[in-house]
Amino acid sequence: MLRDYFSLAVESLRVRQLRTWLTMIGIFIGIAAIVSLISLGQGMKAAITDQVTSLGSDKVTIQAKSVGFFGPPGTNVVKPLTKDELDHVKSVNGVKRAAGRLIKPANAIFADKKSIIFMVDLPTEDQSRNLVIETIKLTMETGRFLSKGDKYKVVVGNDYATKDMLGRKIRTGDKLEIEGIEFEVVGIAKKRGLPMFDLAFIANEDVMREILDIPDEISVIAAQVSEGADMDIVAEAITKDLRRHRNEKEGKEGFEVQTPESFLNTLNTVLTVVQAVLIGIAAISLLVGGIGIMNTMYTAVLERRKEIGIMKSIGAKNSDVLLIFLIESGLLGLAGGFIGILLGIGLAKAVELIALSKLGNVLLQADFSLPLIVGALFFSFIVGVASGTLPAMQASKMQPVDALRSK
Amino acid sequence: MLSDYMLYSVKNITKRKLRSWLTMIGIFIGIAAVVALISLGQGLQKAVEDQFQELGADKIIIQPKGSAFSGPGSEANFFSQSNIDKIKTVNNVRNAVGMMYTAAQVDFKEEQKYFFIVGVSPDIEAREIVQQLSTFKIESGRDLKKDEKGKVVLGYNYKYGDIFTRNLRLGDKILVNENEFEVVGFAEKIGSSVDDSMLYIAESSLEEIFDKHDEYNYIYAQIEPAVNPASMVDAIERSLRKSRDVKEGEEDFEVQTFDEVLDSFFVVFNIIQAVVIGIAGISLIVGGVGIMNTMYTAVLERTKEIGVMKAIGARNSDIMTIFLLESGLLGLAGGVIGLLLGMGISKLVAYIGTQMLGSTLLKAYFPAWLVIGALLFAMLIGMASGALPAKQASSLQPVDALRYE
Repeated sequence: MLRDYFSLAVESLRVRQLRTWLTMIGIFIGIAAIVSLISLGQGMKAAITDQVTSLGSDKVTIQAKSVGFFGPPGTNVVKPLTKDELDHVKSVNGVKRAAGRLIKPANAIFADKKSIIFMVDLPTEDQSRNLVIETIKLTMETGRFLSKGDKYKVVVGNDYATKDMLGRKIRTGDKLEIEGIEFEVVGIAKKRGLPMFDLAFIANEDVMREILDIPDEISVIAAQVSEGADMDIVAEAITKDLRRHRNEKEGKEGFEVQTPESFLNTLNTVLTVVQAVLIGIAAISLLVGGIGIMNTMYTAVLERRKEIGIMKSIGAKNSDVLLIFLIESGLLGLAGGFIGILLGIGLAKAVELIALSKLGNVLLQADFSLPLIVGALFFSFIVGVASGTLPAMQASKMQPVDALRSK
Repeated sequence: MLSDYMLYSVKNITKRKLRSWLTMIGIFIGIAAVVALISLGQGLQKAVEDQFQELGADKIIIQPKGSAFSGPGSEANFFSQSNIDKIKTVNNVRNAVGMMYTAAQVDFKEEQKYFFIVGVSPDIEAREIVQQLSTFKIESGRDLKKDEKGKVVLGYNYKYGDIFTRNLRLGDKILVNENEFEVVGFAEKIGSSVDDSMLYIAESSLEEIFDKHDEYNYIYAQIEPAVNPASMVDAIERSLRKSRDVKEGEEDFEVQTFDEVLDSFFVVFNIIQAVVIGIAGISLIVGGVGIMNTMYTAVLERTKEIGVMKAIGARNSDIMTIFLLESGLLGLAGGVIGLLLGMGISKLVAYIGTQMLGSTLLKAYFPAWLVIGALLFAMLIGMASGALPAKQASSLQPVDALRYE
């Protein structure tokens, strides 16, 4: 029985092919937009989570509290962290190793042009140094990495070698002046797709402290948690210890201890809000597409009045007629959704490729989860059925006599 | 002749009321969304421009050169008093003032928070330049006296914005980096959360507490009224180069008029706006497809009618005009309703924004080009969507059309 209804619905859609296609276009444009936006959003979240966990699912970070959202860690802080505090963090139970990093702007002159660059240090002390090297996993495109005792040498982020950031591209072996002292570029790092790597100048800690005259300040501390230790408990222990050491009261700490999880949560909240707004706007087109289905179905009911009359006079119940028209509009939505998903996948992939090749952005990734695809199909079917409800009810309530008499 | 066509179109549209309405809904939803988004964007742009153009018309801002990570506080360089004095000596510069700010730890009762604090210049005339630019006005209490120690003026949010559990009052004592200050005044609302949670103390106190010596973050220069600020940029650059002893092309600072500052802000803003409107515009395409669909159905239903018209002498172009007019009218009518709806939505959003967020920048603004453009665009969509069906109708053979059942 239901199968007959299906073939009936398919047949009616086939008869008016042009109209069916146009109606489906309305649905699939909307579905394509939504699918591609969701998949790019999901992909971006996954990529960020990946990056963060690869940098340290076993590390908590400690920063002095700051004002505003701009700049790298250590910008606009009131009471910066110090070396002494790093030593304290190292001694906290459950902390395996810890490293402090200094991130500071510096004046540079390259190719007769003055610029501001961002310098990041590589700690001098062995344990910290190893922790940083293991964490950032920097590989070289050309040249070599810094070795201990390298004085006035820098490793440069990839963007400076591929774009004319400082007037012209930097190559290994180039000399540039940083804070009035001549530095040699010993290596160019491979592209990572994150500004914190691709835009950094890395120098040894002692050198950086010397040229910038910053003896004691630390921008951010990364503490590796021992295997088996609970991240939140260690974070709490560090907070307590530093609080006591800095002589600060509970709730008035001048620093923040973040676990990767809490960091990701904050980030995901922001991303979700932006995504929701964009998808909401894109959903307007789906609404318009739904109205298109309604329009098509009303026209279909009008055209098939006589047919409905015949069906009813040979015994079709109201519910049968209702079902036939609902199946038809549901199919319209479903087919539109199917094409829309394919189109949306293509679109998202295209955006990903363009972002990668033109901008070198590795965070804009398309991610198609099964729930997304099934959900989109289901949703487009629902849109079809919902849009077809009013026309189908009109059809089902027709009086057989009136319907037969109509021209 | 054309008025006859018009009448015929209107009659046909009103005959299939339900279908015409549904088709128009498709268009007006899209137009409403686009109009609302554009008018809010334009409103914001205009509000910012109005606020700054008047105040910034005679001023120039000098800031350290930005870096790849630029943002306030990430500068590597500062300006000195001698830099400022040098700029003052440039011809046609009326006055120049340095602005010093830093991040501060603020304690009130049992709470501790972090905000930006600004050092207020002892030079009253120079202070006014900064206050004009940031639209700073005293809301209650009084402004700081020259080099006044131990007193602080607070941003609007300290009094009304729940920064601390208990809102502050005049006479309250707070700690700034462990130093006690008495609140003597509150600023009027400026409109951004950073500005409205600012603290203002005497420049000398700021230097003392934060151990800053001669480190100004920005310099503002005021130009004589009759002179165009843009023409002064080069002269100021030259004098500052000399004062800071840097060569041309190696400047570690940037000299900009306020127009330029605004322009660079709007570049980013316009990109965001374009993306959002682009996504909203998708619904217009869908609406257009809806019109096409309706028109194809109309052509089908009226095949016989077309045959009769052709048989009594209607040319292809007449039929074409009739159907194009009809689809254009559908689009235009959808556009009118959409425009009204969009205006209503953006007014509503602006109203809610002002009430709930207290934002003075969220304004609905409808320039003439937006109103006319939206209507014209809606009509064009209608006609473009109707072009193919109209073509089909006009090229029907009279004999076939008449025979059609």
